[in-house]
Amino acid sequence: MLRFAALRLGRALLTIALVVTFAFIVLRLSGDPAMMIMSPDAPPEALKAFREAWGLDEPLWLQYLKYFTAILQGELGQSMRDGRPAIELVAERIPATLLLTLPALALKIGLGIPAGIYAALHRNSMTDRVVMTFAVAGFTVPSFVLGLILVLIFAVQLGWLPSGGQEGWRSVILPVISMGLGGAGVLARFTRSAMLEVLGQPYIRTASAKGVPWGAVVRGHALPNAAIPTVTVVGFMVGSLMAGAVVVESVFSWPGVGRLMVVAVANRDLAVVQCVLLLVSATMVTSNLIVDLLYGVLDPRLRGQAPAAGGGH
Amino acid sequence: MSDETLPRAAAPPRRRAAVPVGVMMAMAWLALILAVALLADAIRPFGITAMDLRARLQPPIGFGGTSWAHALGTDELGRDVLSRLIESIRISLLIAFGATIIAAVFGTTMGFLAAHFRGWVEQVVLMLIDFQASMPFLILALSVLAFLGNSLPLFVCLMGLYGWERHARIARGLAIAANAQGYAAAVRHLGAGPLRIYLGHVLPNIASTLIVAATLSFPEVVLLESGLSFLGLGVQPPMTSLGNMVGYGREYITRAPWIMLCPSAVIVLTTLSVSILGDWLRDRLDPTLT
Repeated sequence: MLRFAALRLGRALLTIALVVTFAFIVLRLSGDPAMMIMSPDAPPEALKAFREAWGLDEPLWLQYLKYFTAILQGELGQSMRDGRPAIELVAERIPATLLLTLPALALKIGLGIPAGIYAALHRNSMTDRVVMTFAVAGFTVPSFVLGLILVLIFAVQLGWLPSGGQEGWRSVILPVISMGLGGAGVLARFTRSAMLEVLGQPYIRTASAKGVPWGAVVRGHALPNAAIPTVTVVGFMVGSLMAGAVVVESVFSWPGVGRLMVVAVANRDLAVVQCVLLLVSATMVTSNLIVDLLYGVLDPRLRGQAPAAGGGH
Repeated sequence: MSDETLPRAAAPPRRRAAVPVGVMMAMAWLALILAVALLADAIRPFGITAMDLRARLQPPIGFGGTSWAHALGTDELGRDVLSRLIESIRISLLIAFGATIIAAVFGTTMGFLAAHFRGWVEQVVLMLIDFQASMPFLILALSVLAFLGNSLPLFVCLMGLYGWERHARIARGLAIAANAQGYAAAVRHLGAGPLRIYLGHVLPNIASTLIVAATLSFPEVVLLESGLSFLGLGVQPPMTSLGNMVGYGREYITRAPWIMLCPSAVIVLTTLSVSILGDWLRDRLDPTLT
């Protein structure tokens, strides 16, 4: 189990290193930020001074090395727009994003998993079909379309809720619904198919045949086994707590990390984009790591296998 | 998941099931959309930038509109919504098809390379697959777009990076299985080179699974493209795409909701149709795929 955890941790760190490299390659090699920030007809001395100030005149390998060590020291550069540390700009947006993504996650789990379980237990019933229709709709309606339609109905037509901005709990409702419904659909669909696969297994038949009441079969045998693949999807959703709100925050002009990212991208603000990229990947990698470790807890079979599987490499 | 411990009961020979109504409707919608995309220049009543300033923000027919010349109304500059919708369908489909094909070709190639060379090549491919699968693609795409600037070919290639890992994973698994089977060994012993074995023999045998995987990622590419264009970071004006139209229409949501509702409806119907078709194809061709 310890070796299993160590291997997974190593892989997580490798992924972060890959993200850092990716960020460096894409963001640094692709253009001349000095021209972008200063405007092309700035005096050459000013451009030169800018490049020196940001270390853009050094050889690339040196820039990469410096970049990497700086990140290890928690130094993520300053916003090229207003000179404030990028990490500060990003950090102050995190609470606003979590204010949307956490309730949305609760909505996804609270609605999606029970609906999926119910649909699987009542396969081919009317409820199953209704749930699945909603699930497919949740998956195919993009969050910005759903968001705008909700605005059209509840803000423009009925005037019950604000269409954007931060005005207390009432402005949270529409964004959370726009994000949560789609995810609930995905989760319902996934839970249903995981449950159906488990319900078709011989051990379920055995348990029923030896006289265990159906409710106990579902609780004791079906749910724990179906939980294993479902945890993966939930883990992915937890991992996208930071990134999941990019589009919806823009729809509702919500001052979160996603909105910051979009604005930074439009302004080509290197440091801020890198910072968001790292924040998002760190969240994602951490939650993948937790999911991997949870697997070991949920599925004792994996615990035995893990060292063997890892031993070959 | 786990290997089947019991052999599956042999499926009884059955007649070809009739195509369900939902699938028929999905096919009909997709045929219509494809026809619109192909014939866009011929059926578009107005140029997409043609302005008619005296007829600004006209509602569509049936919602108070009176002019059949602008059946779906006009936008804030008096441009015909129907014409712009037709052009948007063409651009969005072009991007989605281009990207799906790039993802399928790139992913399958990587999968075959991993299956053929094994060893460190396979490890690198698997690492890239893990990396791609564990990162939210929207964030990666945003970073690339902002710093490489934006042009249509670049945008299509970027979208083509979406979903390659799914193809790579499938192609690798199936090619490794195929290599262990008689037919691949047979052509190898007959002296066929790797290129011939993979393209001429393995690929046709696993194509149905790859096609299903492509139909599953197509709607996701449509959603991704429209999301990025909605944010103003995808297709750039004067070109227009479905997401782009929604993004601009949003400014007029109170006065002229049709500008935003028309492209939204097309996005939803199209992704829905491809999903229905993809699910149906999967059930028929390869029920093991998730």
